[in-house]
Parts: sequence; C-alpha cells; structure tokens
Amino acid sequence: MESTWFLAALWLALALVATLLAIWLRLSTALSEIVVGTVAQLVIGAFFGLQALDAQAPWITFLSGTGAIVLTFLAGAELDPEIFRTKWREAVGVGLVGFFAPFLGCAALAYYVLGWSGRSSWLAGIALSTTSVAVVYAVMLELGLNRTTYGKAILASCFVNDLGTVIALGLIFSPFTVRTAIFLGVSAVVFLALPWITPRFFRRYGDRPSELEAKFLLLTLFALGGLAVWAGSEAVLPAYLVGMVLAGTVGKDHVLVRRLRTLTFGLLTPFYFIRAGAFVSVPALLGAPLAFLALLGAKMVTKLAGLLPVTGAFRYSGSERIYYSLLMSTGLTFGTISALFGLSHQIIDQAQYSFLVAAVIGSAVIPTMIANAFFLPHHLMVEEPEEPAAVSTVA
Amino acid sequence: MFSRILVAYDTSEHAQSAFEHALELAARLHTSLLVVAVARPSEPPTRVELEAELDHARTHYEEAFARLRAAAKKRGVDLHTTVEVGHPAEQIVRTAEREHCELIVMGRRGKTQLERWMLGSVSERVLRYAHCPVLVVR
Repeated sequence: MESTWFLAALWLALALVATLLAIWLRLSTALSEIVVGTVAQLVIGAFFGLQALDAQAPWITFLSGTGAIVLTFLAGAELDPEIFRTKWREAVGVGLVGFFAPFLGCAALAYYVLGWSGRSSWLAGIALSTTSVAVVYAVMLELGLNRTTYGKAILASCFVNDLGTVIALGLIFSPFTVRTAIFLGVSAVVFLALPWITPRFFRRYGDRPSELEAKFLLLTLFALGGLAVWAGSEAVLPAYLVGMVLAGTVGKDHVLVRRLRTLTFGLLTPFYFIRAGAFVSVPALLGAPLAFLALLGAKMVTKLAGLLPVTGAFRYSGSERIYYSLLMSTGLTFGTISALFGLSHQIIDQAQYSFLVAAVIGSAVIPTMIANAFFLPHHLMVEEPEEPAAVSTVA
Repeated sequence: MFSRILVAYDTSEHAQSAFEHALELAARLHTSLLVVAVARPSEPPTRVELEAELDHARTHYEEAFARLRAAAKKRGVDLHTTVEVGHPAEQIVRTAEREHCELIVMGRRGKTQLERWMLGSVSERVLRYAHCPVLVVR
C-alpha cells in the first residue's frame, strides 16, 4: 500500500511543479501539466524505467477519467442559454462549418498524406476539429464584445463546434446496436428530466456541509458515463450534454460551481493532464516533426477555409472574419480528450497520439499568437509617439 | 483641470500608494475617481480555468474596493470601480479612453530583469500609449 501513497505523492509533486510553472510563466495550468507530464515521463523514465510513473495504474486511470468527465461537465455548464436565443441560426451555421471543415480536412490529410488507417484518420479529424470557447471568450472580454450580439453569436458557434466534436467522438467509433439505442433513449429521458428535478432536489436537500449536490451530479455523470461506455461510446459525451442541459440552473449556482472546481483542479485534472502528457513520446516527435506540423497546419488552413466564407455570409468584414476564424482554430481540452480516447481504445498508436497532442498544443498557442500579432486592438496599433503625452513621477 | 482621474489598482503596496496620491488630488480638485483593476487570464486560457480565474479576481478586488470606497467617502470623493480583463496596460489605456479620463495614476512595481523581459513593464506601456497625462508613483 505504501507504494500507492508514494506514487500519489509523486504525481501531486508534479502537479505542484506544474502549477508553480503556470504561475511564474502565466501559462494555463492545463498546458503546464501536459508539458510537465511529458518531461517527467522522459526524465523519470530514463532514470527509473518507463513504468516509474505508472500512468496505467487503475486508480490513476480512474482519477484521470473522472477529471475529464467533470471538466467536460463544467465546460458544458458554462453555456449561456441566452446566447442561442438571439442568433441561433448563425451559431449553428458557423459552428457546424467550424467542426466539419477541420474534421474532414484533417482526416483526409492523415489518411492520404500521412498514410494513417481509416479509424486513426477519423480520430485525427475529431481531435483537430475542436475550438476553444475560452480563448474566444477571453478576447471578447478584452474588447468588450461579450455583451454584443456579434460576440454572443461567435461564442454560441464555439459551443456548437465543440458539441459536434463530442458527438462525433461519442458515436463515430461505436457500432450502432441495441445498446446504442438504449443509451440514446435513456440519455434523452435523463436530459429532459434533469433540468426539472435537479433544482427542486437541491432546493429541498442541498446547501448543507454533506455536499449532496456534488454527490448527485457525480452519480449522474458516472451512471451516464457507464451507460455510454457499455454502449461502446465515450463518457464525456453525456457529461457535456448534462452540463449543457443544467447550464441554466446548476451552471448559475456560483457557489456550487466553485466547490466543483476545487475538487476538479485540486485533485482530478492534474491526474488527467499529467497522464495525457506522460503518454507523449518525445523520440517519436523528434523523429518525424513534419507530421505534427502538417496536422497543425491542416487544422488552421481548414478552419480558415471553412469559416472565412461562412462568416462572410453573415456580413462580417474582412479583418473580423480572419480574426474570428483564427480564434476558432484554437483548442486544447477536447483535443487532448479525443487523442487520449483514441490511444486508450487502440484507435491510434503512441506515435500518432504524440503527433496529435503536439498539434493540439500548437493549436492552443499559435493561432492566438498570430491573431494578437496582426489583430491587436486598434489603439495599440497607432504609431508610437516620440514622447509620452505627459509624465510626472512622485518620489 | 482634470474632470476624471483613473487609478490603476492591483492591491499591491505601490498601487495603494498610487491610490492615496490620486485620492489627494481628487479631493483637492473636486473630481471623481475611477479605480481600475485588471484580471489577466493565463495563456492560453482554458474554459473552466478561465471562469475560475475571473471569479477569483472579482471576489478579490471587490473586497479591496470596499476599503477604497470607505477611504474615498471620508474625503468626500466620488469613486467608481471596475474590473477589466486582459493585458493590464492595454486595459488601463482602453478604459481611460472609454471613460474619458483625463489623468491616469499608477504605481510602479520593482520587477526583476527576467520579469521585465518576459512580461514587459505595465507603466512603460501605459506611458507609451495613453491618450492623456500619466502620473507614475514610486
């Protein structure tokens, strides 16, 4: 038993290092944890053997899987139902194109250029079809666009885009059988009932130190996750949908959401992201760097190719179209979830997983850098004056 | 002379000093104060983490703003507060323009060479891009 505690201590030490690096370098913790996982596996593996981190241990797999499920639920719960009511047609149009263009384009590149199998290529398409609501939302907040219908439509498009990714991940690799029908039927009933039952149940029994709300939500997520996996699907699919259907109720309970975040960031997601990083093979990446660059390039090109015309159809100007198409080319969380799903189900091998995760990390950083470099808010693009307007210094 | 003064505030000692100078000026000139705090998301922002960071920043600054409001009330100064999101320099300049502020008051933090190289100096960027006079308090 002591080896389990020592192993847990090692993983949490890595999580702590990743968090400190994230604070010092102003990086997102998720990105830092992936990189720390990769480096730790490389270094610790070189000195103590490849099994030193024991990323396949059942309890680490469980904590990591729970992290992915709760994280996906919280992401779905952040949806603002109001945004769909204003410009749903545009959101669906842009969101679907934002999903299908890279999904089909990257799958084609993996199949025809990189020579991957059909299933591996579809997985590559899914992993690279995601967008990042957070990146778009952060820029909206910076520019004050989050309150405009323009900004709301783009945010809604991002949710639709990711919904496409989650549905594809949940259904494309599972043969349609009686189990699938049962899973879909039960899920539909639960999704209809949850928004009615949950707030009433919480009002009656919640808000106590026994944390009934967290237990109820975890029960729902685990039960539907189990049903999804039984049907050959993926547990994050119902988790995202449960989040979306509860966004108008549970999602607005800030205290509850904060408590769930504490559980998620403090214990669950470090295991998820470090584990995702630990499976990345640096030798494979160094051996064929062009593969991951090709996947990254394909994601950006196909997003731009798909989104530029469709945003133009909604009468956005040239620079706005390029700007939002670039921002919708980002993505991290769902990209790694998809890649890890592929590796765990032997749809892709470790080298293909490494290329995909590297491309996903690249897509989290590079499009934003390009957007910021060339589309900075206009007041920072004015010519620099020789002297400041006026400067006083009080000692 | 100045109809509205903006103070950049991050709860540090330097920012507190800047606020006190700004309050003194506002009391003497009978102008209003706008206190601006900026929450800076980590890069690249990820969904749940971004919301958590923004939530934390709002709570953190709201507690600090309560103290500033009490101080302003004592001096009879009209004080408004806001929490913006993004790069601090960019948001300070942007808010000053949007709110038609005629003076920006801010502290200067003692950064190491590494921090300056990686993050840049907020006060230097504000001095470079602000549309109005800037008072940097050491």
